[in-house]
Amino acid sequence: MTAATLEPSSALDRRIDAIARERRTTRRSRLASLAVALALVLGTVYAIVIKDTDWARLTWQSVATSLARFAEFDTSALPGLVDPAIDTALMATLASFLGLFLALPVAWLGARNITPLGRASYVFGRGLMTLSRSVHEIVWALIFVSAVGLGVLAGILAMAVRSVGFISKVIAEAIEDVQPGPIEAIRAVGGTKFQILWYGIVPQVLPVVLGTVIFEWDINIRRSTIMGLVGAGGLGLVLFREMARSNYGGIATVLAAVLALIIVGEFVSHYARKAII
Amino acid sequence: MHAKPSSDAAVIDDVEVTTLLEDGERAVAGDALAPPRTLRWRKWKRDLVWAGLIGLVVWSIDRLDIPLDRLPGILGRMGETLMTRYFPPDIARITQRDYLGSVFETLEMAYLATVVGIVLAIPLAWFASANMSPSKRILYPLSRLAIMACRSVHEMIWTILAVSILGFGMLPGVLALTLFCVGFAGKLFAEAIEAIDQGPVDAMRATGANPLQTFVYAVLPQVRVAWTGTSIYTWDVVFRAATVVGFFGAGGMGWYLRESMQRIASQEVAAIILSIIIVVLIAELFSSWLRGRIARAIA
Amino acid sequence: MSNIALEVRDLCAGYGDRQILKNVSFTVSPDDFFAIIGPSGAGKSTLIRCVNRLVEPTGGSVRLNGEEILDIGQRALRLARRNIGMIFQEFNLIERLSVLDNVLAGRLGHTGTTRSLFRMFRREDIAQALTLLDRVGLTDHVHKRADRLSGGQRQRVGIARALMQNPRLLLVDEPTSALDPKIAREVMGLIREVARERRIPVLCNIHDVKLALDFCSHIIGLQDGVKKFEGRPADLNEKAMHDIYALEVL
Repeated sequence: MTAATLEPSSALDRRIDAIARERRTTRRSRLASLAVALALVLGTVYAIVIKDTDWARLTWQSVATSLARFAEFDTSALPGLVDPAIDTALMATLASFLGLFLALPVAWLGARNITPLGRASYVFGRGLMTLSRSVHEIVWALIFVSAVGLGVLAGILAMAVRSVGFISKVIAEAIEDVQPGPIEAIRAVGGTKFQILWYGIVPQVLPVVLGTVIFEWDINIRRSTIMGLVGAGGLGLVLFREMARSNYGGIATVLAAVLALIIVGEFVSHYARKAII
Repeated sequence: MHAKPSSDAAVIDDVEVTTLLEDGERAVAGDALAPPRTLRWRKWKRDLVWAGLIGLVVWSIDRLDIPLDRLPGILGRMGETLMTRYFPPDIARITQRDYLGSVFETLEMAYLATVVGIVLAIPLAWFASANMSPSKRILYPLSRLAIMACRSVHEMIWTILAVSILGFGMLPGVLALTLFCVGFAGKLFAEAIEAIDQGPVDAMRATGANPLQTFVYAVLPQVRVAWTGTSIYTWDVVFRAATVVGFFGAGGMGWYLRESMQRIASQEVAAIILSIIIVVLIAELFSSWLRGRIARAIA
Repeated sequence: MSNIALEVRDLCAGYGDRQILKNVSFTVSPDDFFAIIGPSGAGKSTLIRCVNRLVEPTGGSVRLNGEEILDIGQRALRLARRNIGMIFQEFNLIERLSVLDNVLAGRLGHTGTTRSLFRMFRREDIAQALTLLDRVGLTDHVHKRADRLSGGQRQRVGIARALMQNPRLLLVDEPTSALDPKIAREVMGLIREVARERRIPVLCNIHDVKLALDFCSHIIGLQDGVKKFEGRPADLNEKAMHDIYALEVL
């Protein structure tokens, strides 16, 4: 059974031609936008790989030599890393709690349905969220060093403030999505504003909040490894010390420890999430 | 109806929230239905958890030897330092030609890293998705491992490593950001694939389509919206990181930040940090505009 | 040509300890509209999916026009699947693509990978797709996105997509359970007509016994993975019904 038997072939031909034409046009416009993206890529490749890179000094050999330096893995140092690893995990924990603590008022301001002063406080709250997320933790750390000096505290504050944006955004959105039922019920029996918040809203958003804090905790473990830059303790400090000594084998060892800690952290957060559900 | 990819999957956070919220509702309902004895036990358990958490915090503060005495008046002190040392920001510095060039460099690094990273993340995510991986035994664990390795190392550590191997410049910055991007986008891409409706996949397989054809016809149309959102979000995060990779010897604005810092030129530092915040905000505004536009175009 | 289109022998399937199909055997001749009935969970869907190995059977034999399907490699399986059209309960269209592209997707097995990446289908394929869409009554919907159609229209696209393969067997998995009764009869009628026009044997699982009686030429009844009945619609008496649906009656 051929196609042409069911319809006059010229009419069918015209329809096919129209379809083919239209497909050619879409294909062309897609290719055009692809070409633009590709041209931009080539431009940046030119600027970065050709103009900015000193290929006289950078050879395959030099890369191979630098890579080889990391291969001198120092397993004997691993037991000594257990204590710093615990410190790192604790730093992440404190930072996440502090982040949550700071996030609560921000979420209160930034949740459209409970924000206290209308549009002004809403915009202010949202602005704080964006500010917290927009500034990289390195920059936050440098800012806090100026206030509390080098050390653990600056690192924890930086991580906490960096966490605020995400935690408060999630909480605010959860608050905006709460079921009105329980709130109405409390209002109906003459509950105060605080009672509405505590009994009507908190129980509904609590699981979301805890889930988010655990999520941030996971990320804060990663972040804490670079807080060694400002002298915050744990694996990060060991890492930066090894880097200052240019002990590449040591760097590789610490990184392996970080990886191990993160895998442990992933398990912990997985089970913690399950536990709250 | 089939589960369509959410139109605002732009922010992964949303996905997380909706699933968690359902659990929240269940928990609320559970409380009301539970018999009194369970309730009492639950209250006990809750007190126990609180006590444990407070104990943990106290112990951590003690163990980490955190100088809490530096906390009171922190805002005042910060304000004071800012006023005396960092104010006024040296705006002249950030309007100089070389610095503006570094802003452009930052943009270039972030663009290249995002494009290359996303191009690499697409096949990796495909191989690393539990439902669609074309090779369960070899490619699946390997690509999962690759994505996890990229993710678990902080982007600044990648930068430090890349600089130590490739020397100073934009190239190590791009390398580090690319690895970061692969880990970030790869995971979210794979999760989007794992959430698709399997029906069209069956249909394509049933026609005798090969794995690549099945991917292009049954998977891509379903994840397109989610992936677009993820890509924009990835761009945001990569750009933010690109502003500071220079701090560890890669190119861009961070390089100047470090340089001014080493000279203890605090007013320059203030200006540079200010400029970083501003360009990141501009980038975020741009991407939220783009997100809105794309959402409208797709809807 | 022999008068056996599909031969299924001692087909078994299951996951781990759970056996879903237990030694099911039957043959389908070229003119058959062959129905599988039975209570839900009887293994009807699994049976259909074992024929084109969307579900891997654990034992037995499936021969399409004399050629064994179960012991062939992935590449050969893809070639075999090109000859087996499939219509799904939930239509399984690609929602974000146009109706035309959905129908053309039926041709993927015959289209080179590069061509299919850029949706460059052959001219004769487009001609056939348009003709099929005319045949199933969707002339005016060719360029609409699939998710803009009603349930009945979607299933018509599904039918056109399956026919696009020029199949030598049509597998039909609960084609009507997502549709309302009137549309369901129209869709069943359409499947029967197009299959007759092209002399394609149909293997169809269906939970609605009335539809099976009205549209099918041959019926087998499954219960808990075991074949309990085989015969013409006229043979399906009370006792046979009881055998098949015994658990539900109790």
